[in-house]
Amino acid sequence: MNMTTPIEQREFKIVGKSVKRDDVLEKVTGEAQYTGDIKLPGMLHGKIKRAAIAHARIKSIDVSKALAYPGVKAVLTHETVPRVLHYGSPHPRSASCTKDQYILDHKVRFWGEGVAAVAAISEEIADEALDLIEVEYEALPGVFEPEDAVQLGAPLIHEVGPGGNLVLDPVRVNRGDIDKGFAEADFVLEGTFAGGRPHPAYMEPNVCVADWDGSNKLTFWTSTQTSFMVRGILAEVLGLPLTKVRVLVDHMGGGFGAKQDLFQHEFLCALLAKETRRPVKMEFTRHETFVAGRSRHPCKIWLKQGFKNDGTLVARDMKLVYDSGAYGSHGPGVTIVGTTAATSLYRCENVRLEGRCVYTNTPINGAFRGYGVVQSYYALDIQMDEAAERLGMDPAELKLKNVVRAGDIAPSGHPIIGHGLEICLKHGIDVLDWTTLRGRDRTPDPKRPHIRKGWGIGCEMHGSSAYPGIKEQGNATVKVNEDGTVTLLTGAAGLGTGAHTALAQIVAEELGVRFEDVGVIHGDTDVVPWDIGAFASHTTYLVGTAAKMAAEKVRAAVLARAAMKLQVSAEEIDLSEGKVFLIAEPDRSMTVSEAMGPSRGIPAANIVANGTYEPTKSYSFAAHFTEVDIDTETGIVEVKRVVPVHDVGRVIHPIAAQGQIEGGIQQGIGHTLTEDYVIDKKTGRSLNAGLVDYKMPLSMDMPDIETIILEAAPDPGGPWGAKGVGEDPIIAIGPSIANAIHDAIGVRFHHYPITPEDILKALREKGA
Amino acid sequence: MRRFDYHRAETLEHASRLLTELGDDTFLFNGGTDLLVEIRERLRRVRNVVDIKQIPGLSDITYNETRGLTFGALVTVGRLENLSLVRQRYPNLRSALASLGSIQVRNRATVVGNICRASPSADTIPPLVADGAFVHIYSRTNMRVVPICEFFTGPGRTVLAKGEIVTGITVPPAGDNTGKAYLKHGRRKAMELSTVGVAVSLAMDDGVCSDIRIALGAVGATVLRAPQAEAMLRGTRLDAEAVRSAADKAMEECTPISNVRASADYRRDMVGVLTGRAIKQALETFA
Ligand SMILES: Cc1cc2nc3c(=O)[nH]c(=O)nc-3n(C[C@H](O)[C@H](O)[C@H](O)COP(=O)(O)OP(=O)(O)OC[C@H]3O[C@@H](n4cnc5c(N)ncnc54)[C@H](O)[C@@H]3O)c2cc1C
Repeated sequence: MNMTTPIEQREFKIVGKSVKRDDVLEKVTGEAQYTGDIKLPGMLHGKIKRAAIAHARIKSIDVSKALAYPGVKAVLTHETVPRVLHYGSPHPRSASCTKDQYILDHKVRFWGEGVAAVAAISEEIADEALDLIEVEYEALPGVFEPEDAVQLGAPLIHEVGPGGNLVLDPVRVNRGDIDKGFAEADFVLEGTFAGGRPHPAYMEPNVCVADWDGSNKLTFWTSTQTSFMVRGILAEVLGLPLTKVRVLVDHMGGGFGAKQDLFQHEFLCALLAKETRRPVKMEFTRHETFVAGRSRHPCKIWLKQGFKNDGTLVARDMKLVYDSGAYGSHGPGVTIVGTTAATSLYRCENVRLEGRCVYTNTPINGAFRGYGVVQSYYALDIQMDEAAERLGMDPAELKLKNVVRAGDIAPSGHPIIGHGLEICLKHGIDVLDWTTLRGRDRTPDPKRPHIRKGWGIGCEMHGSSAYPGIKEQGNATVKVNEDGTVTLLTGAAGLGTGAHTALAQIVAEELGVRFEDVGVIHGDTDVVPWDIGAFASHTTYLVGTAAKMAAEKVRAAVLARAAMKLQVSAEEIDLSEGKVFLIAEPDRSMTVSEAMGPSRGIPAANIVANGTYEPTKSYSFAAHFTEVDIDTETGIVEVKRVVPVHDVGRVIHPIAAQGQIEGGIQQGIGHTLTEDYVIDKKTGRSLNAGLVDYKMPLSMDMPDIETIILEAAPDPGGPWGAKGVGEDPIIAIGPSIANAIHDAIGVRFHHYPITPEDILKALREKGA
Repeated sequence: MRRFDYHRAETLEHASRLLTELGDDTFLFNGGTDLLVEIRERLRRVRNVVDIKQIPGLSDITYNETRGLTFGALVTVGRLENLSLVRQRYPNLRSALASLGSIQVRNRATVVGNICRASPSADTIPPLVADGAFVHIYSRTNMRVVPICEFFTGPGRTVLAKGEIVTGITVPPAGDNTGKAYLKHGRRKAMELSTVGVAVSLAMDDGVCSDIRIALGAVGATVLRAPQAEAMLRGTRLDAEAVRSAADKAMEECTPISNVRASADYRRDMVGVLTGRAIKQALETFA
């Protein structure tokens, strides 16, 4: 075990309990204010004219008719907006990003890209005016698949970057000696894998409101996970100091990673408001969240691994190609994280990896829960199952033999802490009595002879924080009010995960006050401390630790103040449940309110402290055990039961953690079986940009999920050992389903989504 | 969403007049679950909507043993779905009703709206076709009754002339010797437009099939009958072999297209599977 700092053990009063979330009442009564609820006096509505062509040069744009349309107040085109080249994903201190976006350009790079924007007195009028904008295009040949984009002579989508339609130079990772590894192997498995283009389909479409005041200051409400990045890049592109841009975000209807880009509509909304000197709102339709939002990178993977006959993995050679779509966005980050992740999960000393990210004339792919790892671990885990089959071994046994363990070097370059994955696997095997499950029911139920059953396992590990790609920093400010209540100021966004509740629990626990006495102020860049954004499963881990540090300082100050009032030394007293008391004489006490308030000529105390935390990374682990039913006549796969076993270190709020796991499984079932955002390979047109034909599983489609959360490998980097849980559950479910399908019908699938047509076709080829 | 004007009709005559006077881009507004989506998604250009929900006399449901089941244009999918009469006598229709959208949608959507939209994938059409339903049509000059299989002329198109309004639907009585089923095939269990829908309505006489109608949804320009498959089954005991050959024939009789929901081949395969299963399920009534 490599534990640098011992983890404090204590009896918890608030942490580990599913306290009532602070936002529950507001949300169920409909009082919660979302960005879309904002109405300002004189507010205009903005709409974007979108190209119905995938690759073209704009020869001319005539907006005169649109401008003359009654109710239209402004129209913007590439000729009238500032021409500033900027990042799509403005991660500060990010490892590698290419500036490849303009607010509006004279070139169209994907079907659905914005080419002009209108502000009008109503949404309907703005929408109607779009049809009056006349755009003349010079069509350019398009490329819609990475393999076509990297061909010599393929049309170039960007003038910037490394060229050849690469978003970044290939990412290469080498460990050990690959040739030696293969030379030692008793057998080699080789295969290609392919992942589709799932879309996060968050409930709340992207929306923003811009308002400039008389002092030329921009107030900007937007549904974002990264308000400080929005502030920074808006200020940069608009040429303003940070004091002149205030970004606000209260409640959000999800984001799943995709709301951490700086979107075209956000710039345009600010510019339309500036031009008209009136507030402007822009809200995506559901269609726009597909074409102009962000989806997961489709990925093609070639994987070759060498094994010994005892199941030892001796060599891993892997090439990954991620499809970035028309812009870089998170392509570099996804490629780096997804590729380097393949150094781990299953131990292997000799590794050679190469990740590429390629531009195509398709809608932009960005950050989405599981960030490149969904793709790479799908391949790793399925091939591990194949190795077990080849060896005549139970996959559980082979996986158990090879999973990462404490001290192994993680993708981040740090030693893994704890045997988390091993414990998750073992726990699931025991709970389910695994060895009795697989292959059972090979003789079908006589009443349903066309149904086959199968079980599969998927494993995953995922980091909390984006280190080392991004040097992260968590900040928190904690204030104690004179009545003994406490205010936490945080920049962490509230996507709907319950993060603010967890942070308040941490503050209350550390400080020694009741949970109900902690209020959280968030989402105002003029007020709260700087924040990197809510992503990389890191909010509880990173900001939680910062909040704990701030609370610790505040606690010391409260104790000092109480000691003065009680005329004892601070070492003699303790603070718990809002009361300061003498350790030796607990009846001698005073409330935090009495300690803080004015008395006998002493003014009320002003106690404020900051916590700043710069972590490296911790890893959470999970093994998913999944049962499927397959209808061999229709090809429909029904996920019947999932037993997800997760290690997330210290659990802060069990129900919230469980909610993350169940939600991740729902999304994972979606991309494995039914969800795929389909782009026509001839024209680049979207074929199912909407919820009519983009099929997410609904409550009726959900299996029984029996979540097990272990606190097996707490990490000293998080508060009391807490680690992230946000992204983990979406990773393991996919391969567990694919492996269960194989168990049921003996067919291997190397791609997702696995559709009913794929199943039928494979069964036919197999001659069943 | 594009702007449109809203008109409320007081009577059928009023609604019909508004339809002719207000011009081509005028549409009846019933539950609105198709119409509003079409306006919003810009699938249909609409300038005026004529709300018929206040017109008296269009909300009745009646049943008698000779005429069968009659319901008015305003009767919602949810209301019919919850009638025990429908559950007992028309299990095919009931299954279609219960599979349409979600509870919220069903509380708003009407069956008449479903047939007037004339989508090839509409769920209530196959059972109504299999049961040989009739459509009652009002116009200011005369009333007419059209067999449902003659009502559709193409995807989204019907025999309705300008100013005509559907006032209700009659489904013939369901005898004791009948068996019915509707099976819907989609990518998920609810909130799903069917990839294929198959309705069966059959009558057995002393173990022999005296009549059978098979209606296929989402595999042609309109909901189709499978007349050759039906002919192969009439007079048989509907044993497994006969059903299998008829199901194969139904696959030949349909004319599916490929789209993002499924390929034509897969749809055809599903016609075969679902036809077999629907007949089996319809026969369970007699078991
Ligand atoms: C979320 C959602 C899910 C859905 N799921 C399904 C599904 O699973 N299966 C399915 O089949 N459908 C589904 N639909 C489509 C729709 O709900 C049904 O077609 C519904 O039955 C339409 O009825 P309505 O009363 O809402 O029709 P409306 O939208 O009011 O009208 C539909 C069309 O019929 C015309 N019309 C209406 N009444 C008359 C009349 N009396 N005479 C002449 N013309 C008339 C209208 O002008 C319009 O063109 C779904 C819709 C939504 C929004």
